[in-house]
Amino acid sequence: MSLTPQAFARTGGIALLVVILQISGLGGAHPFGIHPDLVPLGVAAVAIYAGSVAGAATGFATGFLLDLVVGGTMGVSSLVLTAVGYAIGRYREVRDPAHGLMPIPVGAAATLGYLIAFAAVSFMLDVGSSVSPLVVRDALVTTLLNALLALPVFLLARRVLRPVLLVDPVGLRSRRRGPRETGPLGLRGLEA
Amino acid sequence: MYDSKVVRRRRAALAICVALSVVMLTAYFGEGSGGVFHTLQRGAQEAFAPLETGAGRAFKPFRDAAGWFGDTLDAKGDNDDLRAENERLRKQLGESAVAADDVRQLRGLVKLEDTDSFPSATNPVAARVIVHSPTVWYESVKIDKGSDDGVEEDQPVIAAGGLAGKVTSVTGGTAEVKLITDGSSAVSAQVLPSGASGVVRPEVGQPNDLLLDFVDRGRRVTEGTTVVTSGFSSERVQSRFPRGIPIGRVSRVDLDEVQLYQRVHLKPFADLRRIDIVQVLTSKGRASENASADVTP
Repeated sequence: MSLTPQAFARTGGIALLVVILQISGLGGAHPFGIHPDLVPLGVAAVAIYAGSVAGAATGFATGFLLDLVVGGTMGVSSLVLTAVGYAIGRYREVRDPAHGLMPIPVGAAATLGYLIAFAAVSFMLDVGSSVSPLVVRDALVTTLLNALLALPVFLLARRVLRPVLLVDPVGLRSRRRGPRETGPLGLRGLEA
Repeated sequence: MYDSKVVRRRRAALAICVALSVVMLTAYFGEGSGGVFHTLQRGAQEAFAPLETGAGRAFKPFRDAAGWFGDTLDAKGDNDDLRAENERLRKQLGESAVAADDVRQLRGLVKLEDTDSFPSATNPVAARVIVHSPTVWYESVKIDKGSDDGVEEDQPVIAAGGLAGKVTSVTGGTAEVKLITDGSSAVSAQVLPSGASGVVRPEVGQPNDLLLDFVDRGRRVTEGTTVVTSGFSSERVQSRFPRGIPIGRVSRVDLDEVQLYQRVHLKPFADLRRIDIVQVLTSKGRASENASADVTP
């Protein structure tokens, strides 16, 4: 991703949108008792299209904003989301996924990683009361719900980020090149 | 293949973000409520409040639609339970009317002052929930009433007829409420009518099942009885919650032969996963002053 003011504004806009949507819009919605979590999806979407550095920075900024407005322990969400953003960004850089359904496993992995890491940090900070095994069930169902939501979230994030991306992983795959009209005679007229 | 400059930049970005997070985490725990990060949080909450209120209202129909599916499934089972409860309550109502008359007469005899019982010593201020905590590990909500409306730290908050939590931080127009399902919450409570007392604590991840801990094994607790705040006070400590606020109904009692205490499970009256309106029990004088200040030009 190019480091321009426009790129920062677009990434910041995504971070702000997912945080506000999560705490004010989806925070109180519990279809079937489980609420979806847009925050890891937003960070994962930026990381998968813009890479590990942008992913880590967006994760940090989103976590910082989340802790600020919710009033949670400052630094917990930043730490966890930085790790999620970096890991998803590195996956994109190393494996270069370009399949159309790529957001589903990536969104699920980001959500599960976020929930597990958040639980681990909370345990380390001493929760102070007993923990129900239902936390595990809730985490799994939230992951499934987020996997379904990943497609529209990633699509929206790609639309927002596209003008500032140096390389669009999905665009590379889907754009068919025209037949060659120059070069060696044997290759002309072929799709190469 | 690998540009060392790119690798260095990538690792540096990660290291900086992680280091900043750890510094924030350490500083937040080290500082008091007047520290830099706490002040920053209050400022951000004040600044974001209008945006959150607007977004909360705009998305309310979607939240309600999502909740409708789950509610419809639950409604059938609840209907049978409510019929049985209605019958039981009718019987209790008759008994209570007689008991209330006795209490009135006895109070007159001993000249007891009616100042420390709920709700006479408090002035409920209704507030709308504008922010819900996004994780089960920190159960808190933010409301659209603050110090301008007489809300102060440590005041109890109720929702749908039951205790919801207490105010932990206040700005001019907003307040943060830590719910009783938060991992760090503990409320002194007693079971009615047996009078067995204990401490209500949550089980993280299970908001519909609270634990009444440290209940003496000798005190008999039966399913279906009501648990209220005990308003415990001694020379050294005093409960933040006034006596008599309903918390929930006993759903199960675990009797372990080895344990000194019995563990009582209760279902809270307030549905803490879906609260939109709450009441803050402000102190009567303060709230009245603010209310009169609001109406004077």
